[in-house]
Amino acid sequence: MTTLEKPDLYRLAEGGRTLELRFARCTACDAPSFPHSPYGCPRCGAPADALREEFRDGRATLLGFVTLHARLAPGIEPPQVVGEAEIAPGLIEEVMLAGDETDFTDGMAIRAIPHEVQREGGAVIACRFAPDPEAAP
Amino acid sequence: MTTRLADRRPVYVVGVGMHPYQFASDTPYIEMGLTALRAALADAGLAFPAIESAFIGTTGIGMAAGRIMFNHIGSTGLACTQVENASASGSSAFQLACLEVAAGRRDCTLAIGVDKYGDQKRAVLKEHVNRLSDTAHIPLVKYALMAEHLAKEKGLAPEDLAGVAAKNHTNASKNPFAQFRKPRSVEQVLASTLVAGSTTSLMCCPRGEGAAAAIVCSEEGIRRLGIAGDRPVRVTASVLQSERPQQGREIPSVTLAQEVAERAYEEAGITADALDVVELHDAFAIEEILYTETFGLAPKGAGQHFLREGGSAIGGRCAVNASGGLIGQGHPLGPTGIGQVHEITRQLRGEQGERQQQGARIGMAHMIGLGSIAIAHVLQRE
Repeated sequence: MTTLEKPDLYRLAEGGRTLELRFARCTACDAPSFPHSPYGCPRCGAPADALREEFRDGRATLLGFVTLHARLAPGIEPPQVVGEAEIAPGLIEEVMLAGDETDFTDGMAIRAIPHEVQREGGAVIACRFAPDPEAAP
Repeated sequence: MTTRLADRRPVYVVGVGMHPYQFASDTPYIEMGLTALRAALADAGLAFPAIESAFIGTTGIGMAAGRIMFNHIGSTGLACTQVENASASGSSAFQLACLEVAAGRRDCTLAIGVDKYGDQKRAVLKEHVNRLSDTAHIPLVKYALMAEHLAKEKGLAPEDLAGVAAKNHTNASKNPFAQFRKPRSVEQVLASTLVAGSTTSLMCCPRGEGAAAAIVCSEEGIRRLGIAGDRPVRVTASVLQSERPQQGREIPSVTLAQEVAERAYEEAGITADALDVVELHDAFAIEEILYTETFGLAPKGAGQHFLREGGSAIGGRCAVNASGGLIGQGHPLGPTGIGQVHEITRQLRGEQGERQQQGARIGMAHMIGLGSIAIAHVLQRE
Protein backbone atom coordinates (compact mmCIF):
# COMPACT_ATOMS: atom_id res chain seq x y z
CA MET A 1 0.00 0.00 0.00
CA THR A 2 1.79 3.14 -1.21
CA THR A 3 -0.99 5.64 -1.82
CA LEU A 4 0.22 8.98 -0.57
CA GLU A 5 -2.26 11.29 1.14
CA LYS A 6 -0.60 14.43 -0.28
CA PRO A 7 1.58 13.41 -3.24
CA ASP A 8 2.12 17.05 -4.21
CA LEU A 9 4.14 17.50 -0.99
CA TYR A 10 6.27 14.36 -0.61
CA ARG A 11 7.31 10.94 -1.92
CA LEU A 12 8.73 7.83 -0.35
CA ALA A 13 12.50 7.80 -0.18
CA GLU A 14 14.45 4.79 -1.37
CA GLY A 15 13.90 2.00 1.12
CA GLY A 16 10.51 3.41 2.14
CA ARG A 17 11.43 4.34 5.73
CA THR A 18 11.51 8.11 5.25
CA LEU A 19 9.88 10.72 3.04
CA GLU A 20 11.42 13.28 0.70
CA LEU A 21 9.79 16.69 0.51
CA ARG A 22 8.89 18.24 -2.84
CA PHE A 23 10.28 21.77 -2.97
CA ALA A 24 10.34 24.18 -5.89
CA ARG A 25 13.46 26.04 -7.10
CA CYS A 26 12.86 29.22 -9.04
CA THR A 27 14.99 29.54 -12.18
CA ALA A 28 14.47 33.31 -12.12
CA CYS A 29 15.50 34.15 -8.55
CA ASP A 30 17.02 30.83 -7.42
CA ALA A 31 14.90 30.81 -4.24
CA PRO A 32 13.66 27.50 -2.89
CA SER A 33 10.04 27.36 -1.78
CA PHE A 34 7.66 24.93 -0.17
CA PRO A 35 5.08 23.77 -0.96
CA HIS A 36 5.64 23.74 -4.71
CA SER A 37 3.13 26.30 -5.97
CA PRO A 38 1.28 25.47 -9.19
CA TYR A 39 0.87 29.20 -9.81
CA GLY A 40 4.27 30.82 -9.53
CA CYS A 41 7.27 31.71 -7.37
CA PRO A 42 6.13 33.06 -3.99
CA ARG A 43 9.37 35.02 -3.67
CA CYS A 44 9.81 36.86 -6.98
CA GLY A 45 6.47 36.26 -8.69
CA ALA A 46 7.87 34.41 -11.71
CA PRO A 47 5.24 32.26 -13.47
CA ALA A 48 4.86 28.57 -12.66
CA ASP A 49 6.93 27.41 -15.61
CA ALA A 50 9.95 29.06 -13.97
CA LEU A 51 9.72 26.62 -11.05
CA ARG A 52 11.71 23.41 -11.08
CA GLU A 53 10.82 20.44 -8.88
CA GLU A 54 13.48 19.75 -6.25
CA PHE A 55 13.16 16.85 -3.80
CA ARG A 56 15.04 17.09 -0.52
CA ASP A 57 15.36 14.63 2.31
CA GLY A 58 12.80 15.37 5.01
CA ARG A 59 15.31 16.51 7.62
CA ALA A 60 14.20 19.52 9.68
CA THR A 61 14.80 21.33 12.94
CA LEU A 62 11.92 21.37 15.40
CA LEU A 63 11.40 24.91 16.71
CA GLY A 64 8.46 24.29 19.03
CA PHE A 65 5.45 22.06 19.51
CA VAL A 66 2.08 21.85 21.21
CA THR A 67 -0.50 19.15 21.86
CA LEU A 68 -3.94 19.56 20.34
CA HIS A 69 -6.59 18.34 22.75
CA ALA A 70 -9.57 18.92 20.46
CA ARG A 71 -10.46 17.69 16.97
CA LEU A 72 -9.67 20.95 15.25
CA ALA A 73 -9.72 19.60 11.70
CA PRO A 74 -10.96 16.53 9.86
CA GLY A 75 -8.48 13.72 10.25
CA ILE A 76 -7.11 14.98 13.56
CA GLU A 77 -7.42 12.46 16.37
CA PRO A 78 -6.48 14.16 19.64
CA PRO A 79 -4.17 14.16 21.37
CA GLN A 80 -2.07 15.12 18.34
CA VAL A 81 1.25 16.93 18.61
CA VAL A 82 1.93 19.62 16.01
CA GLY A 83 5.05 21.70 15.70
CA GLU A 84 6.83 24.40 13.80
CA ALA A 85 9.89 23.21 11.94
CA GLU A 86 12.56 24.78 9.80
CA ILE A 87 12.53 22.44 6.79
CA ALA A 88 15.19 24.42 4.90
CA PRO A 89 17.14 27.53 5.86
CA GLY A 90 14.56 30.25 6.49
CA LEU A 91 11.57 28.10 5.53
CA ILE A 92 9.32 27.42 8.52
CA GLU A 93 6.33 25.11 8.18
CA GLU A 94 3.78 23.71 10.58
CA VAL A 95 4.21 19.93 10.78
CA MET A 96 2.49 17.01 12.46
CA LEU A 97 4.57 14.93 14.81
CA ALA A 98 4.45 11.17 15.48
CA GLY A 99 4.32 10.38 19.17
CA ASP A 100 3.61 12.48 22.22
CA GLU A 101 5.26 15.53 23.76
CA THR A 102 7.73 13.47 25.75
CA ASP A 103 9.38 12.36 22.50
CA PHE A 104 10.39 15.90 21.50
CA THR A 105 12.45 18.88 22.59
CA ASP A 106 12.82 22.30 21.01
CA GLY A 107 15.74 22.48 18.61
CA MET A 108 15.98 18.75 18.00
CA ALA A 109 16.56 17.20 14.59
CA ILE A 110 13.47 15.56 13.14
CA ARG A 111 12.75 13.74 9.91
CA ALA A 112 9.70 13.13 7.75
CA ILE A 113 8.45 9.57 7.94
CA PRO A 114 5.53 7.70 6.36
CA HIS A 115 2.63 7.21 8.71
CA GLU A 116 -0.44 5.19 7.77
CA VAL A 117 -3.78 6.89 8.44
CA GLN A 118 -7.34 5.97 7.59
CA ARG A 119 -9.18 8.27 5.24
CA GLU A 120 -12.35 7.96 3.21
CA GLY A 121 -11.53 5.24 0.72
CA GLY A 122 -9.04 3.41 2.93
CA ALA A 123 -5.53 3.65 4.30
CA VAL A 124 -3.07 6.20 2.92
CA ILE A 125 0.43 7.33 3.78
CA ALA A 126 0.55 10.65 5.59
CA CYS A 127 3.61 12.68 6.51
CA ARG A 128 4.62 12.83 10.15
CA PHE A 129 7.89 13.95 11.67
CA ALA A 130 9.79 11.93 14.25
CA PRO A 131 13.15 12.35 16.01
CA ASP A 132 15.92 11.76 13.48
CA PRO A 133 17.90 8.71 14.63
CA GLU A 134 20.74 9.63 12.29
CA ALA A 135 21.19 13.12 13.72
CA ALA A 136 24.29 13.93 15.70
CA PRO A 137 23.53 13.80 19.45
CA MET B 1 2.49 60.78 -3.96
CA THR B 2 0.56 59.41 -1.01
CA THR B 3 -1.28 61.42 1.61
CA ARG B 4 -2.34 60.64 5.15
CA LEU B 5 -5.93 60.66 6.32
CA ALA B 6 -5.05 63.63 8.50
CA ASP B 7 -4.01 65.59 5.39
CA ARG B 8 -7.47 65.23 3.85
CA ARG B 9 -10.82 66.63 4.94
CA PRO B 10 -11.44 65.81 8.61
CA VAL B 11 -13.71 62.80 9.14
CA TYR B 12 -15.88 62.39 12.23
CA VAL B 13 -17.87 59.53 13.71
CA VAL B 14 -21.25 61.12 14.43
CA GLY B 15 -23.37 58.10 15.35
CA VAL B 16 -22.90 54.49 16.41
CA GLY B 17 -25.28 51.62 17.12
CA MET B 18 -25.30 47.88 17.67
CA HIS B 19 -27.46 44.81 17.75
CA PRO B 20 -26.18 42.57 20.57
CA TYR B 21 -23.81 39.82 19.52
CA GLN B 22 -25.37 36.41 20.14
CA PHE B 23 -25.06 32.71 19.47
CA ALA B 24 -26.64 31.31 16.30
CA SER B 25 -30.34 32.06 16.20
CA ASP B 26 -33.33 32.44 13.89
CA THR B 27 -33.05 36.25 13.97
CA PRO B 28 -32.96 37.47 10.34
CA TYR B 29 -29.85 39.40 9.42
CA ILE B 30 -32.01 42.29 8.26
CA GLU B 31 -33.52 42.63 11.73
CA MET B 32 -30.07 42.73 13.31
CA GLY B 33 -28.66 45.12 10.73
CA LEU B 34 -31.54 47.55 10.89
CA THR B 35 -31.47 47.52 14.69
CA ALA B 36 -27.84 48.66 14.59
CA LEU B 37 -28.54 51.15 11.81
CA ARG B 38 -31.55 52.73 13.54
CA ALA B 39 -29.52 53.02 16.75
CA ALA B 40 -26.71 54.79 14.88
CA LEU B 41 -29.17 57.14 13.17
CA ALA B 42 -30.80 57.96 16.51
CA ASP B 43 -27.37 58.48 18.06
CA ALA B 44 -26.49 60.98 15.33
CA GLY B 45 -29.95 62.55 15.27
CA LEU B 46 -30.32 61.73 11.57
CA ALA B 47 -32.91 60.11 9.33
CA PHE B 48 -31.89 57.45 6.82
CA PRO B 49 -32.19 59.72 3.74
CA ALA B 50 -29.24 61.73 5.09
CA ILE B 51 -26.96 58.76 4.38
CA GLU B 52 -25.37 59.28 0.96
CA SER B 53 -23.44 56.04 0.70
CA ALA B 54 -22.99 52.80 2.62
CA PHE B 55 -20.26 50.18 2.97
CA ILE B 56 -21.51 46.83 4.25
CA GLY B 57 -19.02 44.47 5.91
CA THR B 58 -20.16 40.87 5.83
CA THR B 59 -18.58 37.47 5.31
CA GLY B 60 -21.34 34.93 5.08
CA ILE B 61 -24.71 36.35 4.14
CA GLY B 62 -24.39 36.46 0.38
CA MET B 63 -24.44 38.84 -2.53
CA ALA B 64 -26.20 42.21 -2.13
CA ALA B 65 -26.83 41.75 1.59
CA GLY B 66 -26.80 45.50 2.19
CA ARG B 67 -28.99 46.51 -0.69
CA ILE B 68 -31.61 43.91 0.25
CA MET B 69 -31.50 45.15 3.86
CA PHE B 70 -31.93 48.79 2.82
CA ASN B 71 -35.14 47.88 0.95
CA HIS B 72 -36.71 47.74 4.39
CA ILE B 73 -35.69 51.18 5.60
CA GLY B 74 -36.13 53.17 2.42
CA SER B 75 -34.76 52.92 -1.10
CA THR B 76 -33.13 56.31 -1.18
CA GLY B 77 -30.78 55.60 -4.05
CA LEU B 78 -27.70 55.73 -1.84
CA ALA B 79 -24.44 54.30 -3.14
CA CYS B 80 -24.04 50.81 -1.75
CA THR B 81 -20.87 48.67 -1.68
CA GLN B 82 -20.40 45.29 0.00
CA VAL B 83 -17.02 44.59 1.59
CA GLU B 84 -15.50 41.22 2.51
CA ASN B 85 -12.15 41.11 4.29
CA ALA B 86 -12.61 38.11 6.60
CA SER B 87 -12.58 39.10 10.27
CA ALA B 88 -11.71 42.65 9.28
CA SER B 89 -14.68 43.11 6.94
CA GLY B 90 -16.32 45.67 9.22
CA SER B 91 -13.02 47.47 9.78
CA SER B 92 -12.50 47.68 6.02
CA ALA B 93 -16.04 48.94 5.49
CA PHE B 94 -15.31 51.62 8.07
CA GLN B 95 -12.03 52.51 6.36
CA LEU B 96 -13.71 52.91 2.98
CA ALA B 97 -16.44 55.07 4.52
CA CYS B 98 -13.82 57.31 6.12
CA LEU B 99 -11.78 57.56 2.92
CA GLU B 100 -14.84 58.45 0.87
CA VAL B 101 -15.67 61.34 3.19
CA ALA B 102 -12.03 62.38 3.48
CA ALA B 103 -11.71 62.44 -0.31
CA GLY B 104 -14.68 64.78 -0.60
CA ARG B 105 -16.93 62.40 -2.52
CA ARG B 106 -19.62 62.30 0.22
CA ASP B 107 -20.48 64.23 3.36
CA CYS B 108 -22.37 61.52 5.25
CA THR B 109 -21.52 57.83 4.90
CA LEU B 110 -22.47 54.65 6.71
CA ALA B 111 -20.29 51.69 7.65
CA ILE B 112 -22.32 48.72 8.80
CA GLY B 113 -21.29 45.18 9.65
CA VAL B 114 -23.75 42.34 9.87
CA ASP B 115 -23.31 38.58 9.83
CA LYS B 116 -25.06 35.34 10.57
CA TYR B 117 -23.24 32.34 11.95
CA GLY B 118 -22.22 29.48 9.74
CA ASP B 119 -22.34 30.43 6.07
CA GLN B 120 -18.72 31.53 5.69
CA LYS B 121 -16.54 29.86 3.05
CA ARG B 122 -12.75 30.14 3.08
CA ALA B 123 -10.93 30.69 -0.20
CA VAL B 124 -7.86 28.87 1.08
CA LEU B 125 -9.83 25.65 0.70
CA LYS B 126 -9.98 26.39 -3.04
CA GLU B 127 -6.25 27.13 -3.28
CA HIS B 128 -5.45 23.58 -4.44
CA VAL B 129 -2.20 23.64 -2.50
CA ASN B 130 -1.75 21.15 0.32
CA ARG B 131 0.14 21.79 3.56
CA LEU B 132 2.12 19.34 5.67
CA SER B 133 -0.08 19.93 8.71
CA ASP B 134 -3.83 19.40 8.62
CA THR B 135 -4.17 22.39 10.95
CA ALA B 136 -1.92 24.73 8.98
CA HIS B 137 -4.79 27.11 8.26
CA ILE B 138 -6.19 27.20 11.79
CA PRO B 139 -5.01 30.38 13.56
CA LEU B 140 -5.61 28.89 17.01
CA VAL B 141 -2.78 26.43 16.46
CA LYS B 142 -0.33 29.16 15.45
CA TYR B 143 -1.15 31.17 18.57
CA ALA B 144 -1.03 28.09 20.82
CA LEU B 145 2.46 27.37 19.46
CA MET B 146 3.42 30.97 20.17
CA ALA B 147 2.09 30.72 23.72
CA GLU B 148 4.16 27.60 24.33
CA HIS B 149 7.23 29.34 22.94
CA LEU B 150 6.72 32.36 25.19
CA ALA B 151 6.13 30.11 28.19
CA LYS B 152 9.57 28.58 27.65
CA GLU B 153 11.36 31.78 26.64
CA LYS B 154 9.80 34.47 28.79
CA GLY B 155 7.97 32.78 31.63
CA LEU B 156 4.49 33.35 30.29
CA ALA B 157 2.18 31.34 32.55
CA PRO B 158 -1.21 29.77 31.81
CA GLU B 159 -2.48 32.13 34.52
CA ASP B 160 -1.47 35.07 32.29
CA LEU B 161 -3.56 33.78 29.40
CA ALA B 162 -6.39 33.16 31.85
CA GLY B 163 -5.90 36.66 33.23
CA VAL B 164 -6.57 38.19 29.81
CA ALA B 165 -9.69 36.09 29.37
CA ALA B 166 -10.96 36.75 32.92
CA LYS B 167 -10.50 40.52 32.45
CA ASN B 168 -12.30 40.52 29.10
CA HIS B 169 -15.14 38.23 30.20
CA THR B 170 -15.63 40.43 33.25
CA ASN B 171 -15.65 43.60 31.12
CA ALA B 172 -18.19 41.93 28.82
CA SER B 173 -20.43 41.05 31.74
CA LYS B 174 -21.18 44.78 32.04
CA ASN B 175 -21.72 45.31 28.31
CA PRO B 176 -25.34 44.97 27.12
CA PHE B 177 -24.17 44.18 23.58
CA ALA B 178 -21.78 41.38 24.56
CA GLN B 179 -22.29 37.74 23.64
CA PHE B 180 -20.86 36.52 26.96
CA ARG B 181 -22.26 38.30 30.02
CA LYS B 182 -20.76 36.32 32.89
CA PRO B 183 -17.79 37.56 34.91
CA ARG B 184 -15.09 34.88 34.96
CA SER B 185 -12.22 34.27 37.33
CA VAL B 186 -8.75 33.08 36.38
CA GLU B 187 -9.59 29.74 37.99
CA GLN B 188 -12.78 29.36 35.95
CA VAL B 189 -10.93 30.11 32.72
CA LEU B 190 -8.20 27.60 33.54
CA ALA B 191 -10.82 24.97 34.39
CA SER B 192 -12.62 25.27 31.05
CA THR B 193 -12.03 22.71 28.29
CA LEU B 194 -8.42 22.36 27.19
CA VAL B 195 -8.12 23.01 23.44
CA ALA B 196 -4.45 23.29 22.46
CA GLY B 197 -1.41 23.44 24.72
CA SER B 198 -2.43 25.56 27.71
CA THR B 199 -5.15 27.38 25.76
CA THR B 200 -8.63 26.62 27.08
CA SER B 201 -12.02 27.24 25.52
CA LEU B 202 -12.70 30.41 27.56
CA MET B 203 -9.44 31.88 26.25
CA CYS B 204 -10.93 31.73 22.72
CA CYS B 205 -13.53 34.03 21.19
CA PRO B 206 -16.96 32.58 20.48
CA ARG B 207 -18.46 32.45 17.01
CA GLY B 208 -21.79 34.13 16.66
CA GLU B 209 -23.81 36.79 14.89
CA GLY B 210 -24.87 40.40 15.29
CA ALA B 211 -24.55 43.86 13.77
CA ALA B 212 -22.82 47.17 14.34
CA ALA B 213 -23.07 50.52 12.54
CA ALA B 214 -21.12 53.77 12.45
CA ILE B 215 -21.99 56.96 10.57
CA VAL B 216 -19.15 59.25 9.50
CA CYS B 217 -19.44 62.85 8.34
CA SER B 218 -17.36 65.71 7.07
CA GLU B 219 -17.42 69.10 8.82
CA GLU B 220 -19.68 70.30 6.01
CA GLY B 221 -22.01 67.36 6.65
CA ILE B 222 -22.08 68.05 10.37
CA ARG B 223 -23.03 71.69 9.75
CA ARG B 224 -25.58 70.96 7.04
CA LEU B 225 -27.25 68.15 8.99
CA GLY B 226 -27.25 70.05 12.28
CA ILE B 227 -25.36 67.43 14.24
CA ALA B 228 -24.51 68.54 17.80
CA GLY B 229 -21.03 70.00 17.83
CA ASP B 230 -19.73 68.49 21.06
CA ARG B 231 -20.22 64.81 20.25
CA PRO B 232 -18.38 63.96 17.00
CA VAL B 233 -15.17 61.95 17.36
CA ARG B 234 -12.49 62.51 14.73
CA VAL B 235 -10.84 59.63 12.88
CA THR B 236 -7.17 60.61 12.65
CA ALA B 237 -5.61 57.48 11.17
CA SER B 238 -6.66 54.57 8.98
CA VAL B 239 -4.04 51.99 7.98
CA LEU B 240 -4.23 48.52 6.41
CA GLN B 241 -1.42 46.21 5.32
CA SER B 242 -0.98 42.48 4.65
CA GLU B 243 1.66 40.11 5.95
CA ARG B 244 5.03 39.11 4.57
CA PRO B 245 6.73 35.67 4.91
CA GLN B 246 7.57 34.64 8.46
CA GLN B 247 11.02 35.63 9.72
CA GLY B 248 12.09 33.81 12.86
CA ARG B 249 9.56 32.69 15.45
CA GLU B 250 7.23 35.68 15.45
CA ILE B 251 3.89 35.01 13.77
CA PRO B 252 3.62 37.20 10.65
CA SER B 253 0.34 38.71 11.84
CA VAL B 254 2.09 39.93 15.00
CA THR B 255 4.93 41.52 13.03
CA LEU B 256 2.32 43.05 10.78
CA ALA B 257 0.29 44.40 13.71
CA GLN B 258 3.33 46.34 14.87
CA GLU B 259 3.90 47.83 11.44
CA VAL B 260 0.27 48.89 11.14
CA ALA B 261 0.19 50.40 14.62
CA GLU B 262 3.37 52.37 13.99
CA ARG B 263 1.99 53.71 10.73
CA ALA B 264 -1.26 54.63 12.47
CA TYR B 265 0.62 56.50 15.21
CA GLU B 266 2.62 58.38 12.59
CA GLU B 267 -0.52 59.24 10.66
CA ALA B 268 -2.32 60.43 13.79
CA GLY B 269 0.75 62.24 15.10
CA ILE B 270 0.74 60.38 18.40
CA THR B 271 2.80 57.84 20.32
CA ALA B 272 1.59 54.75 22.15
CA ASP B 273 1.66 56.70 25.41
CA ALA B 274 -1.24 58.81 24.17
CA LEU B 275 -3.67 55.89 23.89
CA ASP B 276 -6.35 55.79 26.57
CA VAL B 277 -8.42 52.92 25.16
CA VAL B 278 -7.57 50.15 22.70
CA GLU B 279 -9.86 47.55 21.21
CA LEU B 280 -7.68 44.84 19.72
CA HIS B 281 -8.02 41.46 18.04
CA ASP B 282 -8.04 39.03 20.98
CA ALA B 283 -9.46 36.04 19.14
CA PHE B 284 -7.17 34.10 21.50
CA ALA B 285 -5.90 35.38 24.84
CA ILE B 286 -2.23 35.20 23.86
CA GLU B 287 -2.89 37.79 21.15
CA GLU B 288 -3.71 40.51 23.66
CA ILE B 289 -0.39 39.97 25.42
CA LEU B 290 1.48 40.01 22.10
CA TYR B 291 -0.27 43.10 20.75
CA THR B 292 0.10 45.16 23.91
CA GLU B 293 3.82 44.67 23.30
CA THR B 294 3.83 45.32 19.57
CA PHE B 295 1.65 48.39 20.04
CA GLY B 296 4.17 49.78 22.50
CA LEU B 297 1.85 49.73 25.50
CA ALA B 298 4.30 47.38 27.23
CA PRO B 299 7.97 46.65 26.54
CA LYS B 300 8.70 43.67 24.28
CA GLY B 301 8.50 40.48 26.31
CA ALA B 302 6.69 42.18 29.18
CA GLY B 303 3.08 42.03 28.03
CA GLN B 304 2.15 39.69 30.85
CA HIS B 305 3.59 42.15 33.40
CA PHE B 306 1.49 44.96 31.92
CA LEU B 307 -1.55 42.73 32.41
CA ARG B 308 -0.60 41.54 35.90
CA GLU B 309 -0.04 45.12 37.08
CA GLY B 310 -3.46 46.21 35.83
CA GLY B 311 -2.12 48.38 33.02
CA SER B 312 -4.74 47.04 30.58
CA ALA B 313 -7.64 47.08 33.03
CA ILE B 314 -10.35 49.74 32.99
CA GLY B 315 -8.79 52.42 35.17
CA GLY B 316 -5.29 51.28 34.20
CA ARG B 317 -2.84 53.12 31.98
CA CYS B 318 -4.72 52.09 28.82
CA ALA B 319 -7.98 50.15 28.98
CA VAL B 320 -7.58 47.24 26.57
CA ASN B 321 -10.77 45.61 25.32
CA ALA B 322 -13.05 47.44 27.74
CA SER B 323 -15.93 46.07 25.65
CA GLY B 324 -14.88 42.53 26.50
CA GLY B 325 -13.00 42.24 23.22
CA LEU B 326 -13.53 39.37 20.82
CA ILE B 327 -13.30 36.94 23.73
CA GLY B 328 -16.12 38.53 25.68
CA GLN B 329 -18.13 40.86 23.46
CA GLY B 330 -17.86 38.33 20.64
CA HIS B 331 -16.57 38.01 17.10
CA PRO B 332 -19.38 37.72 14.56
CA LEU B 333 -16.86 38.66 11.80
CA GLY B 334 -18.58 41.32 9.67
CA PRO B 335 -19.61 43.52 12.60
CA THR B 336 -16.56 43.04 14.82
CA GLY B 337 -14.42 45.96 13.67
CA ILE B 338 -17.35 48.38 13.72
CA GLY B 339 -18.30 47.11 17.17
CA GLN B 340 -14.82 48.27 18.22
CA VAL B 341 -15.53 51.73 16.77
CA HIS B 342 -18.82 51.75 18.69
CA GLU B 343 -16.98 51.03 21.96
CA ILE B 344 -14.22 53.57 21.38
CA THR B 345 -16.59 56.32 20.25
CA ARG B 346 -18.69 55.90 23.36
CA GLN B 347 -15.59 55.72 25.55
CA LEU B 348 -14.31 58.98 24.09
CA ARG B 349 -17.71 60.56 24.68
CA GLY B 350 -17.63 59.38 28.31
CA GLU B 351 -20.79 57.30 27.99
CA GLN B 352 -19.76 53.83 29.13
CA GLY B 353 -20.87 53.99 32.75
CA GLU B 354 -19.12 51.45 34.96
CA ARG B 355 -16.88 50.44 32.03
CA GLN B 356 -15.77 54.03 31.42
CA GLN B 357 -12.04 54.75 31.16
CA GLN B 358 -11.95 58.12 32.88
CA GLY B 359 -10.70 61.00 30.79
CA ALA B 360 -10.36 58.93 27.61
CA ARG B 361 -9.46 61.15 24.65
CA ILE B 362 -7.65 58.89 22.16
CA GLY B 363 -8.40 55.29 21.19
CA MET B 364 -7.28 52.73 18.63
CA ALA B 365 -9.23 49.92 17.01
CA HIS B 366 -7.21 47.02 15.62
CA MET B 367 -8.28 43.93 13.74
CA ILE B 368 -6.61 41.01 12.00
CA GLY B 369 -8.27 39.43 8.99
CA LEU B 370 -7.54 35.94 7.76
CA GLY B 371 -4.74 35.86 5.27
CA SER B 372 -3.46 37.84 7.13
CA ILE B 373 -4.21 41.52 6.97
CA ALA B 374 -4.06 43.99 9.84
CA ILE B 375 -6.00 47.24 10.08
CA ALA B 376 -5.95 50.04 12.61
CA HIS B 377 -7.96 53.21 13.15
CA VAL B 378 -7.17 55.97 15.62
CA LEU B 379 -10.09 57.98 16.97
CA GLN B 380 -9.69 61.18 18.89
CA ARG B 381 -11.96 63.51 20.85
CA GLU B 382 -11.05 67.07 19.98
